[in-house]
Amino acid sequence: MQNDNEDRIIVENVYKTFNIYFDKANSLKEKMLFWKRNRKETREILKGINLTVKNGEAVALIGVNGSGKSTLLKLMTKIIYPNKGKITTNGKLTSLLELGAGFHPDFSGRENIYFNASIFGLTRKEIDERIDKIIEFSELGNYIDNPVRTYSSGMYMRLAFAVAINVDADILLIDEILAVGDQHFQDKCIAKMKQLKNEGKTMVFVTHSMDTVKQFCSRAVWLCNGEIKMDGDPNIVTQEYLKETA
Amino acid sequence: MNIIKDLYNYRELLKTNITKDIGGKYKHSFLGILWSFINPLLQITVYAFVFQVILKSNIENYAVYLCCGLIPWQYFSSVVLRGAAVMVDNGNIIKKVYFPREILPISLVSSEGVNFLISTVIILGFVIVSGIGLSQYALLYFLILPIQFIVSLGVAFIASSITVYFRDLQHILGILMQLLFYATPIVYSMDSVPGNFRWLLKLNPMSYLIDGYRSIFYNKTLPSFNGLGRALIMGIFLCVIGYFIFKKLEKRFAEEL
Repeated sequence: MQNDNEDRIIVENVYKTFNIYFDKANSLKEKMLFWKRNRKETREILKGINLTVKNGEAVALIGVNGSGKSTLLKLMTKIIYPNKGKITTNGKLTSLLELGAGFHPDFSGRENIYFNASIFGLTRKEIDERIDKIIEFSELGNYIDNPVRTYSSGMYMRLAFAVAINVDADILLIDEILAVGDQHFQDKCIAKMKQLKNEGKTMVFVTHSMDTVKQFCSRAVWLCNGEIKMDGDPNIVTQEYLKETA
Repeated sequence: MNIIKDLYNYRELLKTNITKDIGGKYKHSFLGILWSFINPLLQITVYAFVFQVILKSNIENYAVYLCCGLIPWQYFSSVVLRGAAVMVDNGNIIKKVYFPREILPISLVSSEGVNFLISTVIILGFVIVSGIGLSQYALLYFLILPIQFIVSLGVAFIASSITVYFRDLQHILGILMQLLFYATPIVYSMDSVPGNFRWLLKLNPMSYLIDGYRSIFYNKTLPSFNGLGRALIMGIFLCVIGYFIFKKLEKRFAEEL
């Protein structure tokens, strides 16, 4: 990596509001017939977030449900866009918001690796280079050529995680997915993520496991009602957070 | 020109999407790829019967004439109808992973284009069996096809993005396409249309394209480059407008789906 001090993610004064429809007119017909029906309520999820993630940082986003953590993560991946403010990311970005999004049940595990990795923006050659590593990490062995619909949920998850973790992105965004899988595989994932962290990858997590935060992250950001309440050393932030929510 | 870079980076996704679409279509059906042939053949038979035997159309080799219009029309029509559904159908990926959303309409138009290439065998079959035969002008097919691709892509951008917000557009388009079918010279010829209605056909880029296919296969002459030029300009216009609309609406896809 040429410039190690580069800012990987810059979030500038970001606001995000969602419209909550009580009774949404989803079609043209309804819009024309019941134009009064569109009662909606705007809910401000993020209110002026400023956050800069430097290269090599492992940042944990903590906060109670509905505080805007996942929304912030989705904004960083460009799945949704802010109403106000700007988000810039530098480098290849992979998000693990939901594992196995886009798996096709009728295709084999191997075919799905190709398809899933291509969603992450890998070329055929890059996937060919990684396929053995991915299959090995997933521990699926001979099942890899069976259709994905025959997999157990654990196998499904393992395959999806194996793909996502081997994309070799500079930035990894992870949303509460480590809670799945058996102990053995969880440990393996944590070990792999530690390795990636040591390799200087940048990570942003959403998690409720304070142990992971303390063990693993170099920084914790506490979101409360769409604002950053505290930002800093994971030990101090988690302590304050636990005090508040206890 | 970010789109070019994006598409290049995600070329593998584009490729797998196209092959999955073509391969997946017939994976579970007994007759497989034969369906690409049975459906248009059946339609041609019905239309030929109605217009030639019952309504006594005076066009020579009517089945061939029809076929040159019907096959390209089916390409266009399936792009529009499937295009309207493409975002909704892929909602669960759109909500969870980032990738350039343009990939979906582009791969749809491409995979349907491949299907069209396969179906063109029917046109070739018809002209050969009927004794019309092939001329060197048939090679201009590869000029007309890209123009149709551009026109279809523009419409696909618009249909796919607006349907996310108005789901019943899918049904409206179904009816609209039926009307448009008769507003395009497919079962009749442009010349048989009364002069004061002809402007309507001239607004439709598919009229020029079908006229082009017909020239090279049925009449064995050069197509009207004037007409093809108009279709190309309309296609580029549709693409620019469509892409603009798509980009505008794309930002809220994940929220609306």
